[in-house]
Amino acid sequence: MLSIPIERFTLDNGLRVNLSHDATTPVVAVNLWYGVGSRNEREGKTGFAHLFEHMMFQGSEHVPKNRHFELIERAGGSLNATTWFDRTNYFETVPSHHLELALWLESDRMGWMLPAMTQEKLDNQRDVVMNEKRQRYDNQPYGDWDEWIQAMVFPESHPYHHTVIGSMADIEAATLEDVAEFFQTYYVPNNAVLTVCGDFGRDEALDLIQRHFGEIARGEEIPAIPGDQNLDPIIGATVRERVEADVPLPRVLMAYRIPPYTDPGFYAADIAGSVLGTGRASRLYRSLVRERRVAKDVTSFVLPLTSGAGMLLAWATGFPEGDPCEIEDALAAEMEGLSSVTDQEIERAVALTETALVRQIEQVGQRADLVSMFDQLFDDPARLNGELERLRAVTPADVSAFVEGFLGAENRAVLTYVPVTKNTPTPSAP
Amino acid sequence: MNGPSRSVVPPAGLVRSFDFPPVHADVLDNGLRIRSVQVGRLPIVTAMLVLDAGEGLLDGNRAGLAVLTGDCLEGGTAKRTGVELAEALETIGAGLSVGTGWDSTTVSLSCMADRLDDAMGLLAEVILQPAFPDDEVDRIRGQRLAAIHQREMDPVGIATTASRRLTYREGVPYGRPLGGTVESVGPFNADAAAGFVVAQYRPKGSGLVVVGDVDARQVRSLVETHFGEWTGGTGSRPEIDAEPRTRERGIVVVHRADAVQSEIRIGHVGQARSTPQYFALRVVNTVLGGAFTSRLNLNLREEHGFTYGVRSRFLVRRGAGPWCVSTAVGTDVTADAVHEAISEISTLVADGPTEEEVDAARDYLAGVFPLELETTGQIAARIAELLIYDLPDDYYADYRDRIRSVTLEEACEAARACIRPDEMTVVVGGDASEVQGPLEGLEWGPVTVEAAS
Repeated sequence: MLSIPIERFTLDNGLRVNLSHDATTPVVAVNLWYGVGSRNEREGKTGFAHLFEHMMFQGSEHVPKNRHFELIERAGGSLNATTWFDRTNYFETVPSHHLELALWLESDRMGWMLPAMTQEKLDNQRDVVMNEKRQRYDNQPYGDWDEWIQAMVFPESHPYHHTVIGSMADIEAATLEDVAEFFQTYYVPNNAVLTVCGDFGRDEALDLIQRHFGEIARGEEIPAIPGDQNLDPIIGATVRERVEADVPLPRVLMAYRIPPYTDPGFYAADIAGSVLGTGRASRLYRSLVRERRVAKDVTSFVLPLTSGAGMLLAWATGFPEGDPCEIEDALAAEMEGLSSVTDQEIERAVALTETALVRQIEQVGQRADLVSMFDQLFDDPARLNGELERLRAVTPADVSAFVEGFLGAENRAVLTYVPVTKNTPTPSAP
Repeated sequence: MNGPSRSVVPPAGLVRSFDFPPVHADVLDNGLRIRSVQVGRLPIVTAMLVLDAGEGLLDGNRAGLAVLTGDCLEGGTAKRTGVELAEALETIGAGLSVGTGWDSTTVSLSCMADRLDDAMGLLAEVILQPAFPDDEVDRIRGQRLAAIHQREMDPVGIATTASRRLTYREGVPYGRPLGGTVESVGPFNADAAAGFVVAQYRPKGSGLVVVGDVDARQVRSLVETHFGEWTGGTGSRPEIDAEPRTRERGIVVVHRADAVQSEIRIGHVGQARSTPQYFALRVVNTVLGGAFTSRLNLNLREEHGFTYGVRSRFLVRRGAGPWCVSTAVGTDVTADAVHEAISEISTLVADGPTEEEVDAARDYLAGVFPLELETTGQIAARIAELLIYDLPDDYYADYRDRIRSVTLEEACEAARACIRPDEMTVVVGGDASEVQGPLEGLEWGPVTVEAAS
């Protein structure tokens, strides 16, 4: 049982605040979760939550462009932000004596972002984001897999149908009015969780938080997520796509709808994902890589999403002359065969998760992020302390029932990449 | 709080002191060095065995041998098959991780503190009694060959591999890819792995770093129990003569038809870890391309929107590793991006960084030091660095002071001595039919086009 100390407060404007003290190293993490992600994007605006995240670094009323980075780096801190389906997070870790700096910067962009927005900044960050898309997706072998998989697992009406990076046409069409509307709708204290974790004085931190965030006005109620979040628990068929692409090796991906993170049934899915794919004793590694040798590597994990369903994903990369059908059959056989899961396998999965979780919370930044997550998703930050127990409680019967219900052919998306050799001659030098 | 007061950057609070945690140094009779640090906040321990078994020891015919031998450790021991070994480790929540670099092989694991005895026993078994069954060795060689095939088709792999090859004179280890080539990996077998273990996995020259919720006395006793029987003298360690391929300017395009981006690498031979200008160079590199607010990133990303990011690095090793600026940019702006990068590099060398920049870089580097020492794994990795590079045990005691004492003059001097714009080779992995003409317009030496493998 973990015993991370967490004190929770709520400001009058609705901002949820968590303090978690730990004086091991004289550093402090400031972490903000905004309850907005790609699932909140409307048609024609895909990728906007992420573009907006970039704009949050372009300055605010009292902070000129680049100043946020300059000040944090000068203080000896690290910082970043990420956008995901269900949320956007912003975080700094700084030496403890710079806590107020981080709080001031975060509060200024929560309260006073819009006066600093210009067309020039938007144009610049659109270019940056389009290069991010090229670098991380278009110019990467298999880089478009999530676009395929999400579209196969979630229907068009569902908010997880489109990717976080979104469509470049939508990014191109983004305007300053979109920025203003998004900010006023979602970047409000009543849609955010602030966690401070590390070496700080409790009363001083509370005072600083009240001082910097307290005067930011509460926003309107957050609009409902667009589209239809209601889903059948399973896809209802095996759906498949075959992509011939400039990839080095064949690869087969399999994805399944699973219970959402907020459903008690999620934990059996999580354990199933670990038994399949975490570690060298896991089933997929042992079968596909070590014994049958149809794959050079395998991966499997669950996505803990909350709108209607999450996802379990696995993929295996074959050898140059390998047959993708053989990989698909082997993956499917391991998925279905998992109903024979043993106590020992669950014990190993829990032991590996325990080590991984403790290693994660060694860093105040990671710990703060988990606290924010449990607050945002479950309205219960201290839930972090019981997470291992929830996994430990999973029995072989739970996993078998999950496998029967979710890992069969009626709930399967199969995406196969087949290498095609591009036969283009090198242009000769003049 | 009202408007005007928000405009003022808040003052820093009271500085809390930070010292690198005390390192307890010890040595076994067989020569194995022990370094331990007690960090008791969480019930976890990281154990990291550092072996003098890097790829830099090997000539080109044996390239990849250190990496492959490390990979093959999962194949089992005298007592356990590979599957049994994995099960034993994972039952106690410990994954074995093997990292092979130019200067070392590290074998490490993390586990809950109450399982450390079992974990150390398994770690010792893997190192002292590795079995390399032919069947497993064949499998792992096949996987490595497939990985090489992947690297040869990956945009990042293509550009980086070409850049290293074009940086060093033929025969210098750093000029080849770390995991070897199809030709050098092909003949690898169980005898080669066993031979490399006998030659380089030796107690003398190795070190075991243990960090976490355990005291030095327990560490000594555990290491003695599990590694006391390890025998053997010191392995070999040839000098690396890291000669450059050329001292002339030049641009090489590695052609990938229809590439949507160009992977750019700019650089030349850099410095060894032992360089006396180590701290000054860290400051210089931070100004150039080592932080978000570096000159390169503010120009290429925040001003021009050419890229998602750009960075500069001195990869310091036992011999002179490469200095390399790397980025990925849109195909249509490739030559513009190369031009901007070259001009930022040239200006920095010619005029030096400003006092303000040096000040900011010193503050940044000194400030982030404790941020990078939060976890048992991070602390262990820092101590491993001391063992690999023969640095003194108290090296980190004044690390921040040494960063803070770098002067403007020292930074200018380091920039001039260690970055030589006229010797830079530019490598562009991208569509030659689009980028060759504009790159020729830069007049940065001859533009050569190569096929991607």
